[in-house]
Amino acid sequence: MNIVIRKLIAKELYVNRWFIAGGAFSGAASVLIATLGKGGFNIGALTWLTTIIATGVMMALYGIMNERKEHALQFVLSLPLSIAGYVRAKMIGLTASFLVVWAVSCAAALLLVFVKDSVPDGLAVYLVLLCVFMLANFAVVLCGAMQARTEALNSAVIVVTNMGVSIFMFTVGPLPGIQKNMWAATPVWNSTFWTVLGCELAVMVLAFTLPFLLAARRRDFL
Amino acid sequence: MNGKHIEMHGVRKNYRFFTLDDLNLELEPGQILGFVGPNGAGKSTTLRLVMGMIAPDAGEIRVLGHAIPAEQAIAKRDVGFVSADMRLLPHATLGWHMQFMKSIYPEWDGGYATTLVKRFNLRPEQNARSLSLGEHVKASLLLALARRPRLLILDEPTTGLDPVARHEVISEFMDVLRDERRSILFSSHNTVDVERISDSITFIDRGRIVESSNKEDFLDRWRRIQVQLPPGAMLPELPNIVGRVTDGQFVTLTTNQYSEGMRALVGPHVRDIQRMTLEEIFVANVMHHREARGQ
Repeated sequence: MNIVIRKLIAKELYVNRWFIAGGAFSGAASVLIATLGKGGFNIGALTWLTTIIATGVMMALYGIMNERKEHALQFVLSLPLSIAGYVRAKMIGLTASFLVVWAVSCAAALLLVFVKDSVPDGLAVYLVLLCVFMLANFAVVLCGAMQARTEALNSAVIVVTNMGVSIFMFTVGPLPGIQKNMWAATPVWNSTFWTVLGCELAVMVLAFTLPFLLAARRRDFL
Repeated sequence: MNGKHIEMHGVRKNYRFFTLDDLNLELEPGQILGFVGPNGAGKSTTLRLVMGMIAPDAGEIRVLGHAIPAEQAIAKRDVGFVSADMRLLPHATLGWHMQFMKSIYPEWDGGYATTLVKRFNLRPEQNARSLSLGEHVKASLLLALARRPRLLILDEPTTGLDPVARHEVISEFMDVLRDERRSILFSSHNTVDVERISDSITFIDRGRIVESSNKEDFLDRWRRIQVQLPPGAMLPELPNIVGRVTDGQFVTLTTNQYSEGMRALVGPHVRDIQRMTLEEIFVANVMHHREARGQ
């Protein structure tokens, strides 16, 4: 990896530092709130979900769309790198920024499940699927922001991915293989889990790969 | 490397409502090429093609000997780009940008950067978002110049600047050119700036190169000839007349190939022969070519 790409990845981490710090803090704090009884659990869970989704959307939007809108893209493209190099730096930089928030939030939530006696460990299965889903969701938003050149198209991607979270909850939660073991004392990593996880990973790989195949080969990047 | 800094041959770029066609452009080391055209003529498109930000549909582009866009990452190591449209990263300070450039370009001249900060009255701790247009251009210029690139590509860098800021920026370009290995491609619709610093000029209009020549050559060849014809007298057929305005017995001719022989041809009716400014040459040239193309 050449120095310009490395520096641009570091730039993303620097530019997103407040998003990262705020998101990671909010993700961890919402898990703490979730320990405060039933009401606290509802508020905490909602804040936790919102933190991860909003951080991903804002990073992708600010990182890609705003850079273009505010004419800073010309500055970046004037550096000694190719269009493919730019796409690479952007994808890695924004994903690394998001991963900090995602990892802290997910680790805190899993810790809560395994440490708190009132929360059954079986919930970890659903939680892992939800966490991976949100990472895949971010990958789709990022892929959309990299491909889309209009705000309307970007907004459409965000609406669809936000709806995707609700769809996930309504479809994956009630799956017999997930639902019946959700309140078990120990996690049950059954075939339903692996199938859903496989689908999520496939979407994620596709979303992370597409920009390298399409945006990176775009003839006109401005 | 002693080759040309920029070579564009038969370049074409199609958009839905605009086509840049058969573009041929060359820039020698040590040369300042003023790229002049009206708004929407294709100046920025040309410069973006040179920078590899967009790819041509046909033709060949080489910058510092490297094929563009394929080898742009190598070519741009020695190219500084400033555009009136360009903004720095909004969430970072000028100081951060300077550190960023220093970490990428080993040739970064910290002393020169500090001098430019003072000369341009900039503050490194200032966030890019709070910079005015003039400060933005000066900051971008600082970041480009302190790398000491061999080639500077400037897209309307003086647009929107007040006269003092324009003077500061132009003076800095003059400094750059003390080093004869460096070259500048400078686009503008402000012919005063171009006339001040360029040694060669290319006019572009509606996606096509109108004319390319040495600045002095342009200024020497173009003349406005004012003639007062007595009643009934006719002007002889004159070669190389690109414009003619008649007002009663007064006729104003514009030529792009003036020679002393023309004065003799017109005879005693010549009232005045005036040199033209670059702006007048540019307008007359563009209008002449539009007429010739039936546009």
